[in-house]
Order: sequence, then structure tokens, then C-alpha cells
Amino acid sequence: MAKHTHDTYGILAEFTETPAFYEAVGKVKEAGYKKFDCFTPFPVHGLDHQMGIGRSKVPIFTAIGGVTGFCTGMLITWYMNGFNYPLIVGGKPFWSPIFPFPIMYELTILLSAFGTLFGMFATNLLPRHNHPVFEYEDYIKCGDDTFFLVIEKADPKFDLEQTRSMLEQLGSTKVEVLKA
Amino acid sequence: MSSQAATASVPAAAAASGGRKPLATIFLIIGILGLAVALVGMFMGLNQDTPNGRPVMSWLLGYTFWFGMLIGMLMLVQISYIFDAGWSTIIRRQLEHFLAAFPWMFLLLVPMVALPFFIGDNPGVLWKWMNLDNVLAGAHPVRVGDDPLYLHKAGLLNLPFFIVRLCIYFAVFCGLSYLLRKNSFTNDIQPDPKRYINCRKISGAGLFLTPMALTFAAFDLLMSLSYHWFSTMYGVWFFAVSMRMALAVTVITLYFLSTRGGLKGILNESHYYMLGCIFLAFTIFWAYISFSQFFLIYNANIPEETFWYNLRQLNADGTYNEWWWVGLSLIFCMFLFPFLFLLRYKNKVIPRNMVFISVWILVFAIVDLYFNIAPTQKPADNVLGYVTSPFLTGYMLFDLAAWIGVGGIVLWAALRSMATTYPIPIHDPRIRESIASVQ
Repeated sequence: MAKHTHDTYGILAEFTETPAFYEAVGKVKEAGYKKFDCFTPFPVHGLDHQMGIGRSKVPIFTAIGGVTGFCTGMLITWYMNGFNYPLIVGGKPFWSPIFPFPIMYELTILLSAFGTLFGMFATNLLPRHNHPVFEYEDYIKCGDDTFFLVIEKADPKFDLEQTRSMLEQLGSTKVEVLKA
Repeated sequence: MSSQAATASVPAAAAASGGRKPLATIFLIIGILGLAVALVGMFMGLNQDTPNGRPVMSWLLGYTFWFGMLIGMLMLVQISYIFDAGWSTIIRRQLEHFLAAFPWMFLLLVPMVALPFFIGDNPGVLWKWMNLDNVLAGAHPVRVGDDPLYLHKAGLLNLPFFIVRLCIYFAVFCGLSYLLRKNSFTNDIQPDPKRYINCRKISGAGLFLTPMALTFAAFDLLMSLSYHWFSTMYGVWFFAVSMRMALAVTVITLYFLSTRGGLKGILNESHYYMLGCIFLAFTIFWAYISFSQFFLIYNANIPEETFWYNLRQLNADGTYNEWWWVGLSLIFCMFLFPFLFLLRYKNKVIPRNMVFISVWILVFAIVDLYFNIAPTQKPADNVLGYVTSPFLTGYMLFDLAAWIGVGGIVLWAALRSMATTYPIPIHDPRIRESIASVQ
């Protein structure tokens, strides 16, 4: 027990059939595991739901970016045209929300795009140099015909022997311990 | 299940789908009653000593709502074919039922265009250019027949060509609906994937013809009410609001069909989610189009164009009129609130929330139609020579009657069509994909 606490990242189970893998993911979720991840050669529809993953948090970053952009656009146009250097252009008011609307609109889009991109990086904990799963000798197989289910040691329910035997019972073709 | 359904005759399927005949009859009666009241209003409007177009306009306001909705549905059907969309197949069938109303819409157009020529003494009571002796209100009142701006457009705005054009538009709408409905419904009885391919080909041509027809229909029926004004955005605006009305009615119809009709247990939350996404897209599109039109006219600041917005904003003394508040309600209630509401994922998958926002959008779509159609210049003794007709009038009761009347006929036609076939296209190549649709 004490041995694996330092140099173990988690347990990796290989599956070769999609239905067996899909069922196994559901069982792992039902067993109460939270910190596990899946690596599949193609998108498996409904896998997020099967893993018990909620909706992405990225939209919050998008919304914050959008509101910031809109307010920034309004502020800079007011500051430039209405306050710092009032100038009559085309008989329009010094400042109104109508003529500088493209500025607000474009900044809304720009900053919500930034919010989305950087929010995605933040929620995915990117960028990172390496991931313990890359160290797995057959890692390349998850780009070909094999599904990986990785349960992390950091999960409170993780127990090397029990978790390994559970994954074997779920129909895994090969179960390996991943080094940290 | 599918083999059973394949051998069952269509009348049996109609009986299984709940026998909608009584409900359809109720809608027909309501529709006829509504139209009768609207006709009374039209007679009153035409027979007044000073011709008053407003009760005739009631018919146009009620008519345009359902006309736009049907055009939006025709577009949605063709779009779902042309994109070969899987998820929308069971929804497409409900839209096809509504398309049965197009020939009736043609009939309902007749009283509005024809009656002014037989009753009263001013055939140009609604469309001012129809009577060359009409005098346009303004600082310099001008007779239509002497108006250079009319004479330049006389090649387009004359009665024979107007009627020919309306017939062409309806030939496009009715022809496409007939072909799409026929292919889709025949496929239930004699399955043949070729029919699906045919529908895709028809939609390919239809997606060119329909927008052309709807653009010019909007120009003729609505924009020519104030023929001095012109905007290339007007047709696109009509398309945008039509799509929103079509989607709103679709969501409400689907809600009823999935809670107490033939779609119980078939419609799932992903269908609502997808519809919600299109709904959001067209909410943004509507705002983009409506604002672009205003923005370009505001920035260019050319009197030929700006008067149309001044009419909807200012009194002669520079104070805001009623339409200013209508315009503001469009920004905040037709765009901002639905936009924020539909952005949220949860609202798109809860059917009741979708129904709420659909009803909300329908209400403000009607307000949008008022904003674009109803304001007219009445002669007055002020610096402008006119006042804008008010938003709130007693004639709104006739508007309501016309809305209910045309709506009753449209729903009657749709329900009558629903009773003739299956609730879903059982042999459509994409039907399994649609039923198993996931987000």
C-alpha cells in the first residue's frame, strides 16, 4: 500500500470493444470514482453523460469576456468621442450608443472569443508539458483500436488491489499500473 | 412495429393519431368567426366618409403574421432537406402539415386586395399608390399621380403587375409545398429513397425561389405601403422575423404533440435543444438585420430614408411619440431578453421554458410587425404636415379578429392534414437517426 503512493499515477485498463468499454465506464462511475478519464480512438456519443461529467464551464468565461468587451467598447468610444476630444462627425451627437455600435459589437465578439479560448485552456489545465498516460508503453494504441480507462490514484476510493480487480471483472483485456 | 405500420392503411393510422377532426372543426369555426368580424371592420373602414385604411390594415396585420410563419416553415423544411439533417426529420413532418395552408392563404389575400375596388370610393385606401388621386400627407402634399417618386416606380407599382406578382409568389409557395408534401406523404405508403432525393432537389431550387418570392412579397405587401421609402434590408428582415415566428409556432406545436398527441415519447430533449440553437441563431440574425437597416439609414442621414424612422420616433415638435417606446421594446424584449434566455443551455432543454420564450417571441413578433407596417402619415396642421397614426387604437380589436381568423384557418388546414397521415414519416431514410437524436 505504502509503496505505490509515491510513484503511481493510477491504473490504466484497456478495452477493445466499445459496448464493454461504455458499460465499464458506467460501472466505474456507479462505484463512486470521480477522478478517472477515458482515452478513445474516436468520439463515443454519450460518454460524457456515462462518465458523470457535467456541462463545460467554458461558457462562463465566454460570457465574462463578452460583457467586458461590450463595456470596454462603450467606455472607449465615450471617452474618445464624448469626453476627451469631442468632435462633430456627420451631424451626429458627440456620443450615442448607436454610431459606435460596431466597436462595442466587435469587442464583444473578440473578448468572448478570447474568453472561450483561454477559458478552455484554464479548465483543461493546459498547457502542460507531459501527461503520465504518455509514458504508457502502448499509448499509441488509443489512437488506433483500443479504449483506455484510467483511474487516478488521487481518487479517494482508489485502492490498488481492489480497483485493479474491479477493472479486470469489467472485461478489461489488460490492466496496468501507471507510473507518476 | 415498423412492419405493422407499413401494412396498416393510412386512415387506420389517422384514427390511431387521435382523430383530430373535431378540434380542426373548432378551429375552422373560430377562424370563420374571426374573419367575419375582420370583414365587418373592413366594410366600416371602407365606407367612412373620410377613407380610413386602418381597419383594412387589420386584415394585413393578421394576415402577415401567419403568412410569415408559413414562409418560415417552408424555409425550415427546405433547409432541413438541403442540409440532409437527421435530427429534424420528425419535426419536418409537423411543418409539412402546416404548409397545407398556403392555398387558403392565397384565398385570404383576395378580400384585402379586391374589396376596396368594390366597396367605398377609394381603392387605394391601404396601398396609397393604387389610387392616383390619393394625396400624400406632408409639408408639400402631393397627388400620387403627379408624384415623381411614384411615376418612377409606376412600372412596378401598378395593379395588373401587382396581381400578377402575387400570383407568381403563391405559385412558388403552393407549388413547392405541394411537391414536398406529396413526396413525403407518399413515401409513408410506398417507401422509396428516391422520393427523399427528389425532395432534396426540389429544395435546392426552392431555396432560390422561396427567398426571392418572400423578398418581393414583403416589398409589395408591406414596404409599398409607404412607397417613398426603400430598403434592401426589408426582405431579409421579413425573412428573419418569419423564421422566428415559424420556430416559435413549431416549438409550441411540438409541445402539444409531445404531451397529448402523436409525438408522445418520441420527442426528446435534444430536439428541443437543436430547435433552441436555431432559435438563438435567428434571434441574433433578426437583431443584426433590424439594427443594420436602422444603422445604415441613421449614418447615411438621407432624408428620403430617414423619414421612415422619424415617423416611428418623433412628433412634429421633436418629442417622442408612441412608436419610440414600441421601438425600444423591440430592442430589449424582441432581442435582448430572448438572446440572454436562449444563451443558457438549461432553458433550451426544458420544454416549458422553450414554450415560454416562444410565446414571448410571438407576442413581440406581432409588435415588430406593427412597427414595420402600421405607422402611417395622417394629414395635420403642423410643420411636417402630418402626424403618425398611433400604436394603441380601438382598431386593435379588428387586428385581433383578423389574427384569430387567419390563424383559425391555418390551424384548421394543418390539423386536417395531420389527420390524413402518420405523426412521423415512418419510412424516411433519416427517421431512426431523428428518433435516436442526441445532442
